[in-house]
Amino acid sequence: MSALRPSGARAAARLSATGLCVALLCACGSTPPDPAALVRQTSAHMNGLHAFHFTMAVQGFTGSAMPVRSAEGDARPPDLHARVQLAEGGVLLEVETIVAGGRVYLKSFTGGWQPLTSAEVAQLFDVQALFDPKVGLFSAMAATAGPADGTQQSVGGHSTWTVTGRLDGTRVHDLLPVAQAQGEDSATYWIEAPSTLWRASLSGRLFDPAKEATITFDFSAHDHPVTITPPPLG
Amino acid sequence: MTTRSPSLLPRSASAPGLLVLAGAGLFLAAVDAYVVVAALLRMLTSVGIPVLPAANLERGTTIVTGFLLGYLAVMPLAGGLSDRFGRLRTFGACLVLFAIGSLLTATAGSLGQLVAGRVLQGAGGGGLVPVVLALAADLYGGARRTTALGGVSGLQELGSVLGPIWGGVLAAISAQGWRWIFALNLFFAAGLLAALWPGIRQRPARLPQAPLDLVGALLAAAALALLVVALYAGDPQRSPVGSGFWWQAPLAILLIVLFVIRERRARAPLIDVRHFRDSGFTGAALTNALAGAGLMVALVFIPVLAQSSVFSLDPRQASFLLFRLLLGIPIGALAGGVIAGRLRSNRGVAAIGMLIAAFAFALLAGWNQDALRGHLLGTPLRVADLELFSAGFGLGLEIAPVSAALLDLVSDAERGAAAAFLVIARMVGMLLGFSAVAGFGLYQFDRVTARLTPPLFSLRPDYAVRLAQYELQLRQAILDQYHTIFTIAAALVLAGALIAAASLRPPRVRA
Repeated sequence: MSALRPSGARAAARLSATGLCVALLCACGSTPPDPAALVRQTSAHMNGLHAFHFTMAVQGFTGSAMPVRSAEGDARPPDLHARVQLAEGGVLLEVETIVAGGRVYLKSFTGGWQPLTSAEVAQLFDVQALFDPKVGLFSAMAATAGPADGTQQSVGGHSTWTVTGRLDGTRVHDLLPVAQAQGEDSATYWIEAPSTLWRASLSGRLFDPAKEATITFDFSAHDHPVTITPPPLG
Repeated sequence: MTTRSPSLLPRSASAPGLLVLAGAGLFLAAVDAYVVVAALLRMLTSVGIPVLPAANLERGTTIVTGFLLGYLAVMPLAGGLSDRFGRLRTFGACLVLFAIGSLLTATAGSLGQLVAGRVLQGAGGGGLVPVVLALAADLYGGARRTTALGGVSGLQELGSVLGPIWGGVLAAISAQGWRWIFALNLFFAAGLLAALWPGIRQRPARLPQAPLDLVGALLAAAALALLVVALYAGDPQRSPVGSGFWWQAPLAILLIVLFVIRERRARAPLIDVRHFRDSGFTGAALTNALAGAGLMVALVFIPVLAQSSVFSLDPRQASFLLFRLLLGIPIGALAGGVIAGRLRSNRGVAAIGMLIAAFAFALLAGWNQDALRGHLLGTPLRVADLELFSAGFGLGLEIAPVSAALLDLVSDAERGAAAAFLVIARMVGMLLGFSAVAGFGLYQFDRVTARLTPPLFSLRPDYAVRLAQYELQLRQAILDQYHTIFTIAAALVLAGALIAAASLRPPRVRA
């Protein structure tokens, strides 16, 4: 695969589309990997990362329970530093949050940093759960039902395979407590073989029993050094 | 000079037809100059820029400054370019630039693209002004020339008065409604280009070419851009100006010195800098710049305050509120011309106009949460309406006497350049005044709100009370910021009144 020049890869993709030379393609190694194995490996690999950069974007119906529109930041699980954008009365407001040393800190759109109690965190959008090794996105990946091959797509210049599947609503609720713990949601992962996740999206009736919404995560700077320290309070 | 110069024009074209089309282009660009003021918050939200913390709002100021910078960079050159390449071809090129800018802005998904689009719109729009004025002068001679130039200038003023309303109405339709402002520009620009195409296609006659002072224009544009960067409060928590202010501001001054040296040596300077030795000339330029600074602050911050949580108006209502001020400008301008002519006093009328405006700004600075309530003696008018109208009226009153005072000091051959210089002085005032005042306002806001932390949602019984308290304090902080901004603006306009009173000359008696 890596020996193929881009033009060769394109030609191979065309052949695969016509379904002619399956054997040849296997020999080249550009056949889709087994989706279940790919998701499993990626789940383990991402959970083992020391640090990464992420963005999160929310589209569709969110209702008043979920004011978050987007977030961006660095994670060094379990620590995390992110800016979160909230929609409020037709305009966006930005808050900043740091999770460090087991505590959660919030800097709202005015005022300084304040530490939050776990009860307060539970009332808000709990960023800690997103990448938690037990309940977060990466471990939820391993529980994806019916993983199926998608297509080869480029994400930020990286050649990835898409894998689609279904996630139980309770798993989605675990990683994103503001989401409904009902039914099933669909999940798509953009994975660069063997195990690098560049993008993941969850869609379904996330915040309302009747209305669709989608959350897209983009990852970058896998394992780049990141330091996260508690903020100065006041 | 008194005859039409047919060599410049397509043989088939009719003068009124051409002027109407060119005037329509100018009108379109003038509408766009202030079209964003009521749509600003919606535009920021659409490209994912939060309005709080205040540092983000400062990023939004580039939508305003980008347009002014583009305008100022191209305007001094466009007249000379149209001597070389033909009026209509230069007009067409400016219109294309304007349309490309509109397309970028209409489709922007990021602040960068939005600002890039606004810079191009400003460049195209700024280029149109001298080209259309030169075209009007080509088409008509003698007394009819004054009428033609007056008509074109009037169209431009009308466009800038209607722009904020147009923008506010479209922006209020939906969250993305503001994109229509710029998408519609494409249709208008395409229609105008199609109508003028026969003229644009014809090879223009070669005109006697004055050398084009590209170096001077570049130096001036670089100095202005650097000043805007220096005044940009990237971190309003720490400083009301940019972190590089201490080296950028001196460098910008150095560029201005180089510009002056260049202009003294250039064969065809953009502006004859020797005029600045005359206090009447410098005073008129400064008065105009300070009036521009005050106007721009009002144009941006009145709609922003109206849409903040203090008054919670929508963009359309905010633009209608601003219209009271905008309406005062042309009425004041007409009155200023008549009164200054009757009393034969440029100095007095300009100074009184600026004083009225300064006083009105000081009253605007005193607005509180009840400012839009309470009617005046049973009339449908509110005190706020009169304050806004007076601010516009005062700023309008100074236009004619200040222009007359400056134009009286230059030779007949220099009048076109001097008129353009007055526009430039006003725009420079707008750009620098707005940049400085916005930074100070946000710095003030950050200081007031540094310890103002919103209560977190909880089921405790005092939550509602604490939230209400917080909202009250936040609204007060917004008003405090607004007080700072309008107090500075009032001081700037007052300085303009003093300068006008000290420097302007009475109208020259003509034989």
